[in-house]
Amino acid sequence: MDNLIDMRALLDGVDIFELSLWLSGALVILVLIGVRVAFATAFIGFLGLCLFFMQRQGFDQGLVTAMKLAGQIPHSKSTTYALSLIPTFILIGYLAYYAGLTRYLFEAAKRWVGWLPGGLGVATVFATAGFAAVSGASVATSAVFARIAIPEMLRLNYDKRFAAGVVAAGGTLASLIPPSAILVIYAIIVEQSVGKLLLAGFIPGIVSALIYGGLVVGLARLRPNLGPPVSGFTWGERFAALPGALPILLVVFIIVYSIYFGWATPTEAGALGAFVVLAMALWQGLKWGQLRGALMEAAKLTVMIFTMIWGVLIYVRFLGFARLPDVFAGWIGGLEFSPYVILLCILLVYVILGMFMDAIGMLILTLPVTFPAIIALNGGPDVTRADSAFGMTSEECAIWFGIIVVKMAELCLITPPIGLNCFVVAGVAQDSKIPISVQDVFRGATPFFGADVATVAVLIAFPGIVLWLPGLL
Amino acid sequence: MSSSSVLTDDSRLSRADQAWLRIEAFLNLISGIVIFALVMLACYNVVARKLFNAPVPGYVDWTEQFMATFAFLGLAYCQREGGHIRMDIVVGQLRRCALWLAEWLSILFMLFLTTALIYGAWFHFDRSFDWNAPLFSTDSSIDIALPLWPAKLLVPFSLAILWVRLVLQLWGFGRALRFDPERPVAVPLIEDAAALANKEAKTVEGANG
Repeated sequence: MDNLIDMRALLDGVDIFELSLWLSGALVILVLIGVRVAFATAFIGFLGLCLFFMQRQGFDQGLVTAMKLAGQIPHSKSTTYALSLIPTFILIGYLAYYAGLTRYLFEAAKRWVGWLPGGLGVATVFATAGFAAVSGASVATSAVFARIAIPEMLRLNYDKRFAAGVVAAGGTLASLIPPSAILVIYAIIVEQSVGKLLLAGFIPGIVSALIYGGLVVGLARLRPNLGPPVSGFTWGERFAALPGALPILLVVFIIVYSIYFGWATPTEAGALGAFVVLAMALWQGLKWGQLRGALMEAAKLTVMIFTMIWGVLIYVRFLGFARLPDVFAGWIGGLEFSPYVILLCILLVYVILGMFMDAIGMLILTLPVTFPAIIALNGGPDVTRADSAFGMTSEECAIWFGIIVVKMAELCLITPPIGLNCFVVAGVAQDSKIPISVQDVFRGATPFFGADVATVAVLIAFPGIVLWLPGLL
Repeated sequence: MSSSSVLTDDSRLSRADQAWLRIEAFLNLISGIVIFALVMLACYNVVARKLFNAPVPGYVDWTEQFMATFAFLGLAYCQREGGHIRMDIVVGQLRRCALWLAEWLSILFMLFLTTALIYGAWFHFDRSFDWNAPLFSTDSSIDIALPLWPAKLLVPFSLAILWVRLVLQLWGFGRALRFDPERPVAVPLIEDAAALANKEAKTVEGANG
């Protein structure tokens, strides 16, 4: 068949690597003008594949090959067992709403830690950490606690910025404590063990929550006008508040325990967690209409995440042909700077990107290039601990980097200009008697941003905090 | 960043949008029910394996084959509801015609890609399907030899549903571009943070009420 356009002549001498750089630039433009991230990556990947094959096979044959290659990726990459974990975690989140867990958690946390300086703030931190762990959605967590916790804090004369900042920051704790969908997505993209990553997030997640709690206490001690303690609860009242909060602890326990002891696969652990929350929701009088709503939302979020995964994998397939990740990794590996300086530069890029982008979108877009670079920086895929730059094997490096980068991505939810959690808290608080502006929330969240930066620094300096638990597997 | 709302009226476009939404919502519900069923299957598998040493035969194969349902069936519904993540910090600043043009172009890119993927995904299905083979299958799963073609067929099918949705949205944004209405119908509109927050909170509050 005659070719429609003589692409071989047109593309003769075009360097495919150079082309991949141009196309990656075009991808940034597409994302900026608002093309859905999953489709923008897939589109650019497909375009790259077209040009790559047209250069070799001419227009017609090249187009057909590119279509066949891109067309098989959605099915072949989406139907792998490891990915089946994602909908179970998502379903846990939606059912958790219907199980009425938020108020129980806040009430339990208030009775147990309310006596501390800034007690309601500490209670909010732990309640958001608990709920965020099962809901996995930072923004939704902040939205719901803005309704529950902020009015109560304002009633007790808590500083409005402080109250709003605690709620906005508390929502970000979702990302590390299992079950965390974002860690699963990271694991799939970088082809690491999902179970190990989930376990690795556990201790840093708890540490983050404790640091937030400590920060609230410290701030309230320094400036007692920020918020008074809430005391007067008897031990009987404290224990009475526990059963309502128990399902959340149970879900986290089931997931950590079953993965740690190899009792169940991560998907099965997620399914057991979903079952526990479902039982709780049914006990709370879950109706068919509500279950239907939860299933619809879970399905919608699931398909969104799967589309992102196969979309980016079409792009990755093209990048592989163009050797972009290899070349970038080689370049990073060959730099004369200290590996830690380069790591910090990469993390700084994430902070900047995170100011404008959604966490999952940001990770999916960047990991195909940054992950091989980090592994190269550490000394390559087969490096021993002794020869490596960060003192760890490449598998350990993958897990460690995953936890750090996910923490960074969540941190961006409370940074201006579009820290979504802050906007959401301000939006919900519009209805309260004391108006809270977005600036108030950003200011209130600033100390937590500082705490997060310190947490990331600690995780970089002491990788053992991340690697100890998965190392026991 | 990815949430939005869709307006309706009596126009032909809006009626087509709502009719198609019924199909999309039904497919999305099937996808949700399959998620629920797989959760139950996984729970049963753990209990049967641990307590009775009798795991579900071909559990991984069944899971993998049914994954195609929730990985693809809701594609168009998610697009209708504006659920696919995007960055709207730039388009969010655009107004009226400039905004409709950006949205129209964005849908055009998606339509182009979807058309190509339907073709490719159909070939992927076609390679595992044969009218004359047992169960029409020329390719099967590793453990219990389930035919792969039904799962593969779901991809071009779901993409075709999405294709129609994209055409509707192209029509919607095209109409907005031409007549420049204040509030165009049948297309997802960008919501500001406050509206988004209230929607999030309402979902959750309704649950706790």
